[in-house]
Amino acid sequence: MSQKDVLFKEIFDKNSKKIFHLCYGYTGDKDSANDLLQETFLKVWQNLDKFRNKSLISTWIYRIAVNTCLTYLRSEKRQAKDELTENIIENRVEEFSEKNEQVALLYKSISKLEENDRLIITMVLDELPYNEIADISGISEGNLRVKIHRIKQKLTELYNQNARI
Amino acid sequence: MQEFDHIEALWAKHTVDVTISADEMLKQAKKEVSSIRTKSLLNIAGMIFSFLAVAALWLFFDFQSWTTHAGISIIIIAVGVYTVILYNNYRIISKSDFTVNPNEFIAKLKLYQLNRFSLYNRLYWFYAIALSLGMALYFFEILGHLDLWAQILFVVLSFGWMIFCSTLVRKAVIKKDKERIALLIEKFERISGQFHEHQ
Repeated sequence: MSQKDVLFKEIFDKNSKKIFHLCYGYTGDKDSANDLLQETFLKVWQNLDKFRNKSLISTWIYRIAVNTCLTYLRSEKRQAKDELTENIIENRVEEFSEKNEQVALLYKSISKLEENDRLIITMVLDELPYNEIADISGISEGNLRVKIHRIKQKLTELYNQNARI
Repeated sequence: MQEFDHIEALWAKHTVDVTISADEMLKQAKKEVSSIRTKSLLNIAGMIFSFLAVAALWLFFDFQSWTTHAGISIIIIAVGVYTVILYNNYRIISKSDFTVNPNEFIAKLKLYQLNRFSLYNRLYWFYAIALSLGMALYFFEILGHLDLWAQILFVVLSFGWMIFCSTLVRKAVIKKDKERIALLIEKFERISGQFHEHQ
């Protein structure tokens, strides 16, 4: 095993869970999340030599993952957003209803947020520091705080709305 | 009415397991490409088999007419040339590894797609014409030993099969091949390209 392989394996083991969480939170579908995880880490593998330690490696990987998630659904080859969202909701309900209805409801609510907001809130829920989220999403920390406040309100509102149905 | 704290608590107790390892992930990426390589190799193997089968006619039969020898020669030359072209095409993607050098791999995949396209279009017609000519010369002596109805049946079946392959089968293969390679190119370009935009 080459040094790069060993390093990659270590990076994958340390970060894959969180990245999978992000992808899963974004798509709500295990297969798509696996695809996204794979694409993200392929990019990491290819560009590992270019990583210059200017930021934390986790931040760097998150940035790649966020970009991968956003472009994945926008790709022309993918399904239309509305259609996909419907699928996501259906899958989520199917996957979680037996285990935990509330979690299913949470995923359903997240899926109704804007694409960027979905990613930001997933990172917030995964307890990433605000400065890191700002760095990953490319917005200033001040703006991010306002945005997060708004997303939290929106998500709570959606969650309560769905809970009433 | 729930507050955001409830959502945070809900999220925290929700866990997901990553079902793929680093090794499996790289293997899976390589597997998609290797299926194209395998298909290309099977193609070549089929052509080599045809080449040997047609050439074997010389071993088992004593042909009297020069037209039969000319027919077989034309067919095996056409099959041979087409096999060499297929092999050269296979070599384009056989040595490049996406996980090692993505840009080089994408360039080669594009070249492979272009070559496959020309293989099923312009080159295919040269191949089909050569085979038809070869078969016509071959049948010249062979059909002389058969009844008229058998002669007609042979000619109709042979050329009917060629027309079927040249039209319906060829179109379906072109479409499937193009879609498969285009999807891979699209995926790999997305993986490589987007990274640079947001590095």
